[in-house]
Amino acid sequence: MFDVQTLLILIPALPLAAALATAALGTRLLRDRSHVPVVTALVLSFAASVLLVFQLQERIEERATQPGSSQSAGVEEVVARWSWINVPDAMPHPVDGRVETPGWGNFNIEVSLRADPLTAVMLAMVTCISALVAIYSIGYMRGDPGYWRFFAYVGLFVFSMTMLVSANNFLLLYVFWELVGLCSYLLIGFWYERPAAAAAGKKAFLVNRIGDVGFALGIFLIWTTFGTLDFGGVFQSVGQHAGDWRVTAICLLLLIGACGKSAQFPLHVWLPDAMEGPTPVSALIHAATMVTAGVYMVARCTPLFAAAPDAQYVVAVVGGVTALLGAIIAITQTDLKRILAYSTISHLGYMFVALGTGTLLGITAGMFHLITHAFFKALLFLGAGSVMHAAGGVIDIRRLGGLRRRMPVTYWTFLAGCLSIAGVVPLAGFWSKDAILLSLHDRSGLFGGGLFEILYLTTLLGVVLIDFYMFRPFFLVFHGKEKIPPEAGNHLHESPGSMTAPLVVLAFGSVVVGAYFEWTHGFAHFLSFTPSFECLAQSGHTAIGTADKWRVAAIGSVLTAVGVATAAMLYLGSGKAVARLARAMNVFGLYSLSYGKFFFDPIYNAFVVWPLLSVARLAAWFDCMAIDSLVDRCGRIPKLAGAALRPAQNGLVQFYALAMVFGVLVLLGIMLM
Amino acid sequence: MPDPRHILTLAVLLGAVGLWLMLPRGGARGRAVGAVLGIVALGLWFSQFHGLGQWTADGMFFVLAAIAVVAAVGAVTSRNPVYCAIWFGLSLLGTAGLLLLVGAQFLAVATVLVYAGAILVMFLFVLMVAQPEGKASCDRMSWEAGVSAAAGIAMVGVLSVAIGGILSPSCPAMPPIAPPTQEELAAGVLDPHQVARLGDELFGRRLIAVEVAGTLLLAALVGAAVIVNQFSGRRHDGQQRTV
Amino acid sequence: MHPEIALLNDFLLVGAALFGVGLIGFVSRRNMIVMFLSVEIMLQGVSLSLAAWGRFHNDFGGQALVLFIIAVAACEAAVALALILTLFHRRCSLDIAAWHFLREANQPPFRDAPLPEEPSERLEPWPHLPPAGARPEKFGEEDKYRPKV
Repeated sequence: MFDVQTLLILIPALPLAAALATAALGTRLLRDRSHVPVVTALVLSFAASVLLVFQLQERIEERATQPGSSQSAGVEEVVARWSWINVPDAMPHPVDGRVETPGWGNFNIEVSLRADPLTAVMLAMVTCISALVAIYSIGYMRGDPGYWRFFAYVGLFVFSMTMLVSANNFLLLYVFWELVGLCSYLLIGFWYERPAAAAAGKKAFLVNRIGDVGFALGIFLIWTTFGTLDFGGVFQSVGQHAGDWRVTAICLLLLIGACGKSAQFPLHVWLPDAMEGPTPVSALIHAATMVTAGVYMVARCTPLFAAAPDAQYVVAVVGGVTALLGAIIAITQTDLKRILAYSTISHLGYMFVALGTGTLLGITAGMFHLITHAFFKALLFLGAGSVMHAAGGVIDIRRLGGLRRRMPVTYWTFLAGCLSIAGVVPLAGFWSKDAILLSLHDRSGLFGGGLFEILYLTTLLGVVLIDFYMFRPFFLVFHGKEKIPPEAGNHLHESPGSMTAPLVVLAFGSVVVGAYFEWTHGFAHFLSFTPSFECLAQSGHTAIGTADKWRVAAIGSVLTAVGVATAAMLYLGSGKAVARLARAMNVFGLYSLSYGKFFFDPIYNAFVVWPLLSVARLAAWFDCMAIDSLVDRCGRIPKLAGAALRPAQNGLVQFYALAMVFGVLVLLGIMLM
Repeated sequence: MPDPRHILTLAVLLGAVGLWLMLPRGGARGRAVGAVLGIVALGLWFSQFHGLGQWTADGMFFVLAAIAVVAAVGAVTSRNPVYCAIWFGLSLLGTAGLLLLVGAQFLAVATVLVYAGAILVMFLFVLMVAQPEGKASCDRMSWEAGVSAAAGIAMVGVLSVAIGGILSPSCPAMPPIAPPTQEELAAGVLDPHQVARLGDELFGRRLIAVEVAGTLLLAALVGAAVIVNQFSGRRHDGQQRTV
Repeated sequence: MHPEIALLNDFLLVGAALFGVGLIGFVSRRNMIVMFLSVEIMLQGVSLSLAAWGRFHNDFGGQALVLFIIAVAACEAAVALALILTLFHRRCSLDIAAWHFLREANQPPFRDAPLPEEPSERLEPWPHLPPAGARPEKFGEEDKYRPKV
């Protein structure tokens, strides 16, 4: 009954229908029940995604049992519903009917969706997280005047995101890439009455535009190079262009787009500001789903990147720099949501590093981390939202403390999230982090060091920092002396069931999902049947000894313990040690550097925004002084003419009669001539 | 024999100056000079007429034309509106005589009856109601007397030139029309029963136009009554003045 | 020259003269009733021309048209006099220059040039009859009568 094609269409169609219904009926009919259509649709979508995963799994098993078929051949199914753009190469001329062949090839874009393991995994993750977040939002957004608007946006976002991950060509991918950007803008600026929210929305939109320009240029270059925009077509013919500079250029341009969307250095500045949006939005869009679109896109374009190793190095370096940068900044921030935002940036950097290794191990590790990260980061954001909800909107960790007893569910789930993100055995974060470290170790071992050796060490340093910066707010907020901000009133209490239930589910997921996937070896196996990854399977980097595995796991666990212990030592005791350490670090300016977020915003303001503004002001001045005054002067001509002729309209009947007489005289004179 | 154009130009100039002098211009003098100039101009202008061929008819024509034109000038230049009306009546009589001379008997009678008998009396009546004290300041002062006199007389000059040009045998603009002979006229507009013929014409060929004109008269009657009744109640001075 | 053409020429010239004189009156005189009389003079000029043309073409059309002119003039007189009366009631003046509301917003209103002093006419009362049977007290009081209407 539910074959792959139907499911593939159902998954985006349900949220879209729900969003439209909510938008149409929200103000009048639904009001406080605006969540009903969207939540229902998302749950159904999630069910459909799970079914899709099982369908694909069945096919893979069939493939394995069938003798004669190659093990590594991908499993995919493409649904092409209708042709969107169809410009044939040979066109009869509209006037004389001559057939001309300009030679640019048939430009044919179909609205086609694809189902392969990569897409299925992404779909399942997106719909799962969004369903949970939508349920959470029922409690969190209750009573907001824009209640229906929120759910309409969320429905639209899930539609766009599911279409993004199931699109089968670059143009469709780009369209929904933009659409999720729009949803992100709308949801960041959801409380548009607040200037900070409106400004943050604008900033996110503009910074994303920079990346999107790169993405668009990359698509143009793909068209001119390969003559098609279909994933299948491009990836098949990429082998003929190996070593071509254009492939490298395409990859770098696509990377710019991915950097914008996934908040990678140097385009990461929009993500912390995006925390102005409602917390469920931060959890859904700016932690779990939309920001991973860049990772997904790079993973999807693996054949292209595999053909351009230089671009792959750039991916890895960008990821490494971002991972370290985000971790360092996160250490000193005081806003819980911003800490989580920088943590997201850092973890996205990890994923990029993994993708940059260019091995199947690395890419599956990156995707694995994407999934586990989605769980524990959504959990942490929703937990932060729960704290914020209870504390009357206060999110500054210096003003909170000892909430452990007041909010037990939030406390335990947040702890699960922290342990998971820190990579404590055997929680989800451990397995995915371990996989990334292993892939880097593998790569550095293979090529004897250099770049990947440095990256390996960088990520190891990052592991310590992650543990430290995650447990610092945890200890400050939930342990220690009880500090309750006055905004919370005297009734700080646990959040309602609709909010804690998703927390529990996510906490469960954060704990077990990694172990399940790792022990069954299902994830990497399932993902390796993605057709895009065929080119990697043949390169055979995956031979890693058991000793290596144990060594990497041990190193990771030790570093984790070090980080957690440091945080506990500093923040469970008195604050004196912290202050002393901060002073010590500040001798080299490190503390200020971290607290000031490496001064990216002032630097961008000085070197990008200010020059542009100056040019704009100059242009405005020129427009005002030169062009406007010219126009004004031209406008004065009829005015002067009018002033000259105005005395003729003096209202005297006889003047008009006399004018008529002169007119008749002139006419008669002309006739007599 | 001087060039007729020069004579015409001289007549126009003299007429313009004369009329300017005659028009009311505040306390300025010179009406008599203006009258003399006007009569000279009229004479010069008449000298360019062709005449009707018979001295009796010529005499009749020039006397009647002089009456009509001079009385019209008087009507236009008098300071006292009542005199204006009386001069206008005289001009009407001259016009009626000219109409008789051209052979339109019924029109001559109708003009005298309708204009002199009805419209003129109505004017005088309104004048008496509105301005029984005689001259007002607006009657003592013309508006741009010089310019309007020049424009009006220039109009006469241009029309004269145009008429001369059209009726000259060498006019290229018009196809030559054979003038009617006396016999044709006697069978046409100069028929002894011409009033009956005119009646036939009006109530035969032009019946619809006559009906429309009658409707127009009715509408004007109703309109005049409505206008007076509508506004008479809203006078600013509050006096109830019935017409 | 053919006598009929000469006749047409002369009548047209007289008609043009009447038209022009009426035009001068209409343009220069400020009393609304006099302006109206001037318009009637112009109509007379046109009537005369039409009658002459009718004779020249040996057709009654010209005369019929003159009759319509007379009818329309009568209508016009009725409506215009009603309007003039209404206007007069508003301003207590027949001066057309008192009405120039249709001028441009920033144009100054029309102002009369200052009139020189009119040599004063003695406006004496109308003569009254002395009591019957008594001799008038003073003879020769005719010079006190109002000289003109």
